[in-house]
Amino acid sequence: MLPDFALLFIVLAPGLAALIAGVFQKYVTDTGAMVITTGTVGLAGILSVIQLFMFAFGGGVVEAVHTAAPAAGDHGAAVVAPVQHIITLLTWMDVGQFQADWAIRVDAMSIVMMAVITGVSGLVHLYSWGYMSEDPHRARFFAYLSLFTFMMLMLVTADNFIQLFFGWEGVGLASYLLIGFWYTKAAPNSAAIKAFVTNRVGDFGLALGIMGVFVVFGSVEFEPVLSAIRENAIVTPLALADAAPIRELIVPFLGYNVPALELIGVLLFIGAMGKSAQFFLHVWLPDAMEGPTPVSALIHAATMVTAGVYLVCLVSPIYEYAPFAAGMVTLIGAVTALYAATVGMAQNDIKRVIAYSTCSQLGYMFFAAGIGAYQAAMFHLFTHAFFKALLFLGAGSVIHGMHHEQDMRRMGGVAKFMPLTYAAMMIGTIAIIGLGIPHTSFGFAGFFSKDAIIETTFAAGSNGVSFGTLAFIFGIVAALLTSFYSWRLIYMTFHGPREDSILPETPEVDSHADEHLSVDDHGHHHDHHEDPHESPLVMLIPLGLLSLGAIFAGFVFYDSFVGHYQAEFWAGAIYNAADNTVLADKYNVPEWVFWAPLFVTVTGFLIATFTYFFNRGFGAKIAASGGPLHSLFANKWYFDEIYNATFVKGTHWLGGFFWKTGDKRIIDGFGPDGVTSLVRWGSRRLSAMHTGYLYHYAFVIILAALVFGAVIFWRAGGAG
Amino acid sequence: MGNFPILTAVTFLPLAGALLIMLVQTATGSNGQDEETRGRQSLMAGLIFSAATFLASLVMLVSFEVDAPGYQLVEEVSWFAGIQYKLGIDGMSLLLILLTTLLTPISLIASYGTVKHRLTEYTIAFLVLETFMIGVFCAMDLVLFYVFFEAGLIPMFIIIGVWGGAERIYSSFKFFLYTLLGSLFMLAAIVFMYMQAGTSDITVLETYAFAPEVQTWLWLAFFASFAVKLPMFPVHTWLPDAHVQAPTAGSVILAGVLLKMGGYGFLRFSLPMFPDASQFFQPMMFALSVIAIVYASLVAFRQTDMKKLIAYSSVAHMGFVTLGIFSFTEVGVQGAIFQMISHGLISGALFLIVGMVYDRMHTREIAAYGGLVNKMPIYAAIFMLFTMANVGLPGTSGFVGEILTMTGAFQASTWAAAGAALGVIFSAVYMLTLYRRTVFGPVTNPALENITDVGKKDLITITPLIIGTILLGITPNLVFDITRESSLRALQMITGG
Repeated sequence: MLPDFALLFIVLAPGLAALIAGVFQKYVTDTGAMVITTGTVGLAGILSVIQLFMFAFGGGVVEAVHTAAPAAGDHGAAVVAPVQHIITLLTWMDVGQFQADWAIRVDAMSIVMMAVITGVSGLVHLYSWGYMSEDPHRARFFAYLSLFTFMMLMLVTADNFIQLFFGWEGVGLASYLLIGFWYTKAAPNSAAIKAFVTNRVGDFGLALGIMGVFVVFGSVEFEPVLSAIRENAIVTPLALADAAPIRELIVPFLGYNVPALELIGVLLFIGAMGKSAQFFLHVWLPDAMEGPTPVSALIHAATMVTAGVYLVCLVSPIYEYAPFAAGMVTLIGAVTALYAATVGMAQNDIKRVIAYSTCSQLGYMFFAAGIGAYQAAMFHLFTHAFFKALLFLGAGSVIHGMHHEQDMRRMGGVAKFMPLTYAAMMIGTIAIIGLGIPHTSFGFAGFFSKDAIIETTFAAGSNGVSFGTLAFIFGIVAALLTSFYSWRLIYMTFHGPREDSILPETPEVDSHADEHLSVDDHGHHHDHHEDPHESPLVMLIPLGLLSLGAIFAGFVFYDSFVGHYQAEFWAGAIYNAADNTVLADKYNVPEWVFWAPLFVTVTGFLIATFTYFFNRGFGAKIAASGGPLHSLFANKWYFDEIYNATFVKGTHWLGGFFWKTGDKRIIDGFGPDGVTSLVRWGSRRLSAMHTGYLYHYAFVIILAALVFGAVIFWRAGGAG
Repeated sequence: MGNFPILTAVTFLPLAGALLIMLVQTATGSNGQDEETRGRQSLMAGLIFSAATFLASLVMLVSFEVDAPGYQLVEEVSWFAGIQYKLGIDGMSLLLILLTTLLTPISLIASYGTVKHRLTEYTIAFLVLETFMIGVFCAMDLVLFYVFFEAGLIPMFIIIGVWGGAERIYSSFKFFLYTLLGSLFMLAAIVFMYMQAGTSDITVLETYAFAPEVQTWLWLAFFASFAVKLPMFPVHTWLPDAHVQAPTAGSVILAGVLLKMGGYGFLRFSLPMFPDASQFFQPMMFALSVIAIVYASLVAFRQTDMKKLIAYSSVAHMGFVTLGIFSFTEVGVQGAIFQMISHGLISGALFLIVGMVYDRMHTREIAAYGGLVNKMPIYAAIFMLFTMANVGLPGTSGFVGEILTMTGAFQASTWAAAGAALGVIFSAVYMLTLYRRTVFGPVTNPALENITDVGKKDLITITPLIIGTILLGITPNLVFDITRESSLRALQMITGG
């Protein structure tokens, strides 16, 4: 691990840079803000990547793991306390047993995440120099990017649930601000609110989960909680239930008696579902594409949306002993992987295709974690960060080169004009479809991680893990669809004749066409007929570096993350129960399982090549025919419509009902207004003494007080 | 500090200022100056006095011993018939007094240039109100408490009724009716308690064991008063009306301090003096708290008036206070006290923020705004900060109070915690919608074309609240260390006795 000052720099410096760029932008100017933020995050990125390599290949950790004595867990499982280093900065909350510090925790999990976050973030900062060069609010943009980086780092270096929640909501804030970056336009504003609110629905679960953790364990710090589960310690809940070994502890919740770990597992996962856009709570992610494309690459692909996966893996001891909760993770993950892939096939906006692809890949990570292969989930998180950021930045390069065109139907033949971007997108595509040859070291990053997931999931299914087989089948089918939509994107965008745009220029779906604030002094903004141009060097360098990651990250880190050295690498940061052997079993699956992904990937490629390369226009014909399946996919299974009709309208109606009927008619009607009119009516009837308000009120008040006072004295007297 | 009566000094310094202003203005007569100039002089004098009060309360903070149990800086003088003039503070009252002495000068500064007529009387009303508010938080005698508690109604009634908006008469009477009705029940209870216990000394009454069935009635009588003040569902409807009509400074004090008297009352009286009844009514308090949170949040979502929206948001946020208090856990009670302080800062700031654009546009209609960020970027940033604080974003003080009160409630009832957590979703809905409709988007109302960004005065008023909100969000222990003793004490009385 790096020395403390370097760790402090990595985590805190981006926050400081954001503060300077944001609050003092008047003094540092746009360029100053860009230099400060990019320089800081870039340096943090370099340090973090060095740290990852040191950690994975520098040794030192190995010893610590092997000397840790096996404790008395069930089946004699080796209970390994994680190798970690904690720098406590400041006490945050100290209320009874509710103790939370501001801290920086460095272990294998956070080392991986730090490298991903600062690495991708640094490249995205650099890329934005080119992409945002015409924007009048660059200082604000870079401040937000750095703020996000800081919050994400706080999330992954937390040593307690409360700081994790701080980072969790903080990245939500940054995401909200960046989705709505072009604040004068309606669509980004709606998308930003949708993202924040949907995430809040998830946070509802997360917050309750954290409360549950506190009440059950009497602590919100990770290590006391997780070690209690690893050792099956007897815990005494603060309330609700009597002391019991944690794995057998039953607590009441909303009238049901449920195992404590299942309850916490499910609640925490609801939070993860929101942040990681899983089925039911996924609706915000596609809309989040309204934000600038570098943001999509950093936040909505590589880092923030993986926070849910990170959380599930971080608390792996909980899911190891919560089969129902783990089953839920597997099921939701598998359904998301398949669902998002089906929708991704029918989208025409280049960013939305990649957004659904992200959603789908996150599904893979979740079902991997659900069946107990947390290491494989983290591995896919790691490789996915490279190729998905690459795809997004590549798409951004196309959008930039095409003068802010995002509809793939108006693209085509771009490869000729943007050869380097084309190459990068090809690498990203080959990586995401997971091309590689089984049993060899030849393969792109996605091959190693996705196949690790497929194989462990099959092994889990054979071992009888719930939903294991279903997840395997869904994973295979989704791999087919992934290959199809990825190649469809390549063909529609880069191949075919340039003039062959099938869509008339009438801007009916043109809402994204002018992505930037309408700064109309750049005449070419609205002229789609001008030829695309290759992007500047500052945008190509990040593409190049990410391409390297998309090619080599899988091969280089396979042994560390999921291979023979995984126990040494993770050093206790991920926990597997004694009966969870999926990681070892993945070597023993039938031969066809190794080849199945390759088979479906090639099949998907062939179908896409047939429909979008050799028969250009065939796909459009399918779309035009408006078949029910295509409509279902193209309309995202009508989730938005259903949610609008129920939750959105329902909230609106209920708010109005409570206000107009509850407050005005019932409470005020029978309360003050009613009393007033009653008194007025009474005084008109009885006498014409006074008409002043005060008299009426005083009269009623005194009367009421007398009655009440009489009752009290009578009761008190009666009681003796 | 020796025997210097610091509490009396802090309490009555504003009143002394009010009297001085009154005397000087009467003595000098018109003196050739127009009313406006004289009013401005009064305001400046009032500001000096309230600032001095704030400094004096800082002395109080320094003299306060954090770890010492019980009440401190106690001053005791016999008054009449066994009723004493007795003042004293614990950690909770100390912080609420600090909140009061901080918000009063801020309110007066915010009034500068916006309140034009009868400025002298206006200043006097605020200073008198400040004395009564401080008195409420440090009175150690039930009768004295009641005097302050009731007397505070009058200046606020006048502030709304004289300097309020078009509907001010209806609103001020509604405010008066509700709060007075509630307090009369409390008066009856106080008289009864005095007769039975033979004293109105709070420290004695805390240990006096009322019979359980008597407790029930006394508890209800106090509840009637505190529930209205807080306010709790269903006696909350006076608050939105009062806020809408009150001048900005009135809203700041109303939301920032007056509502806290309800929460303070529950902790100071209901829990220690009627422990059995408090236990008995716990389910009802949970139900009302959760209803307040969910109901008020949903109603807030539909408001078209900025101030009404924030008023309903106040109702929801005060729901967390009662939720935490009646969890009878350290986490919950500490969270509730913290939430009171935090809400004082945040809601005060939000009303100032509304006031800033109201001063410029003279409308509170959300629909009249939109696109403010284009014209007022600094304003937009400040508004964003407090929007996030109000939705309880971690790192701001809003989060700490919410998570702790809910965690406390979770220990007593998972239903209550889950219901309250729903409010966390809704708060995001109404606050972000408000922000979007006022700040984001293009400028559509031509009247906004020439609107200016926040000025010096605005920054002076809001900066202390920004600092407070963030500082307490990051190091809430500043509060917890001070309130720990008083929280544990209240809990001890309810669980021990």
